[in-house]
Amino acid sequence: MSQNRFVRGGLKTAAVLGVAALAGVVGFGTAHAQKTVKVGISLPLTGADAEDAVHIRNGATMAFDEVNAAGGAGGYKIEYWVLDSGTASAGQYDPAQAATNAKKFVGDSAVVGAIGPVMSGEGKAMTPILSEANLATITPSSTNPDITDPKFAGQFKPKGKAIYFRTVTTDAFQGPNMANWMHDKLKIKTVFVLDDSGAYGVGIADSFQKQAEKIGIKILGRDQLNPKEADYTTVLTKIKALKPEALYYGGVGQAGVKLAKQAYDVIPGMIKAGGDGMQGTSILKGVGFPAIEGWYCTNASPHVTEDPGTADWVKRYKAKFAGAVYDDYTITSYDAALAMADAIKRVAATGATPNRDNVRDALQQTKLKTLQGEVSFDANGDILQKVVSVYQYHENKAKPADDMDAQVPYIGVAPEVPQT
Amino acid sequence: MEFLDVLLQQIINGVSLGAMYALLALGFTMVYGIIELINFAHFNVFMVGSFVALWVFEAMGFSGQSQVLYGLPLIGVLLVGLVVVMLATGFLGAAIERVALRPLRGFPGTAPMITTIGVSYILFNIILLTMGASTLNYANPMPNIRWEIGDATLRLREVLLWVVSFALMLGLHYFVRYTKMGKAMQATAQDQEAARMMGVDVDRVVITAFFLGSALAGAAGMIFGLYYNYTSFIIGYTAGLRAFTAAVLGGIGNIPGAMLGGILIGLIESLGGQYLEVRWTDVIIFSILVLVLVFRPAGLFGRMAPSKS
Repeated sequence: MSQNRFVRGGLKTAAVLGVAALAGVVGFGTAHAQKTVKVGISLPLTGADAEDAVHIRNGATMAFDEVNAAGGAGGYKIEYWVLDSGTASAGQYDPAQAATNAKKFVGDSAVVGAIGPVMSGEGKAMTPILSEANLATITPSSTNPDITDPKFAGQFKPKGKAIYFRTVTTDAFQGPNMANWMHDKLKIKTVFVLDDSGAYGVGIADSFQKQAEKIGIKILGRDQLNPKEADYTTVLTKIKALKPEALYYGGVGQAGVKLAKQAYDVIPGMIKAGGDGMQGTSILKGVGFPAIEGWYCTNASPHVTEDPGTADWVKRYKAKFAGAVYDDYTITSYDAALAMADAIKRVAATGATPNRDNVRDALQQTKLKTLQGEVSFDANGDILQKVVSVYQYHENKAKPADDMDAQVPYIGVAPEVPQT
Repeated sequence: MEFLDVLLQQIINGVSLGAMYALLALGFTMVYGIIELINFAHFNVFMVGSFVALWVFEAMGFSGQSQVLYGLPLIGVLLVGLVVVMLATGFLGAAIERVALRPLRGFPGTAPMITTIGVSYILFNIILLTMGASTLNYANPMPNIRWEIGDATLRLREVLLWVVSFALMLGLHYFVRYTKMGKAMQATAQDQEAARMMGVDVDRVVITAFFLGSALAGAAGMIFGLYYNYTSFIIGYTAGLRAFTAAVLGGIGNIPGAMLGGILIGLIESLGGQYLEVRWTDVIIFSILVLVLVFRPAGLFGRMAPSKS
């Protein structure tokens, strides 16, 4: 037995050495032409969402650059291909352009996965195309729950397999949890709800409204903004006349910036809150203090940019992108890219060449320690963690004007059930 | 807020919006009245105007809304801004006519109109590429003075908007009615050939119409920035479309019609938003437009287009 074990152990060692030697030889031979895989990144770099899209892109490219510098994902160099999904005519993210980008990714057989989109409206346009090709994407910020809801599988994953993974939770939690938080912490009894007519905006406003009604907050009205409109004083006057205690806005920056500016004029004293669409540098810069002061907003991810465990990441980020800002969605994007690299690495470890099918299957099995904690996905592609963080704009003149942690301080977690 | 306060507030909101649409509609209507051309570049001349004014205020040392002026210095700064912007956009409009449209004069069909769409996109993209895509905070020297009327609020900004718009509209009306160039415009609008035979320099008339219309659009752009405290490369689209609707509603080619059409659209927007829902704004406005065009194809106040014989 013992001899046997010895022999077997020896054989094993020899095998390992052999493989290592072989790998060494192969590695040598291909040093000049390292094996590569492509990952597409689609984000709205033109229009009202551009500033936030830039630091979300930074998060992903930083992760890929670091993976490549450390020898690649399982020996594969990850080549990323960034496409702009914003258009001048939309003035913000453009679902049609996002769909075109998805087709470009699908059309290049070297593309084995994707990062993005930023917005749910883009996700709805991209998923049918990605599903046909079984090309998986990880979104670092789009939160509309319909896209991954099995009820709408026919629409968003016609081929059946989950291809839309997220490193943020969804508005099935973000909207309702904020309703709970406003109920608990702000003792809100009446609210007026607005959305910006986009997929994300309508969805989060609906889910907020539903939960608010359920826990006894009275909805005094609901209306919809046209994001290209300049003037919201009409609806704000209407809200002023109804005297709700709070205004909840579901939507992104194009309408949000103007709404916040004009709300400061018409309803300065009212409590105002939004979702992750109101959290970001585009809002901070576009609205500016004092108009944005006091607005509440949320993110569908844990708050980690100020964690001690993130300090080294912050240092590396600042070194790589001098002067660039970051927030929690830079982290979720970094995590998304790490999860993609990890899936490619696990495929490579089996000896297979990474392709769309095996990368998708590997993503489904993800169990990866990242900056925000462990990332794993359920069968629909949704992340298992469901944390919703709350922030409030509060000017801090001692700190840089674009330091998100200082100007939009984190104030707590919005609970899944009301506490009071 | 009581019913009457709300109504008063929405009328203030609506007239303000309408005055801005009216200023913008005048440029459409003047050019259409004279050469029967819908000038889509007008949308973005307005947008460029708001940026020129921003640059002027920034050059004078303003940024954001932190430094405000009162009294005569305020009027002085605003006048300087207005004059610079109107000259700049006026010359821009004249240049567009000279470079892109005059060579096409007399071409049949839609070629000149398509050209104005092209010019519009050029302006749009120049600003997008040079100024970036984000919404910019406006440099605004105006103090936030407000008067409470019951529960309704009237702000200095609204007063400025009204005063500037109505002064410019009156000035234009006077110009067209009583000056030699104005009369030449009217003559050209009625019959270009006959006017030319009577010694009217039609090219000068057309370029003057572009200059004046664009100058008014520039003024509207500056007022837009001061009123809303922001500008962006995309503001021409909705405002331009509404203003165009106002011009058609009032009877395209008809200058008083454009003013009234503008105010009417502004009021429909604010009262419709109050008593129905804001999400229906466009539906209401364009339904009214369709109804007017079906029952009064020449617009509410009649058309003043070149007569065909």
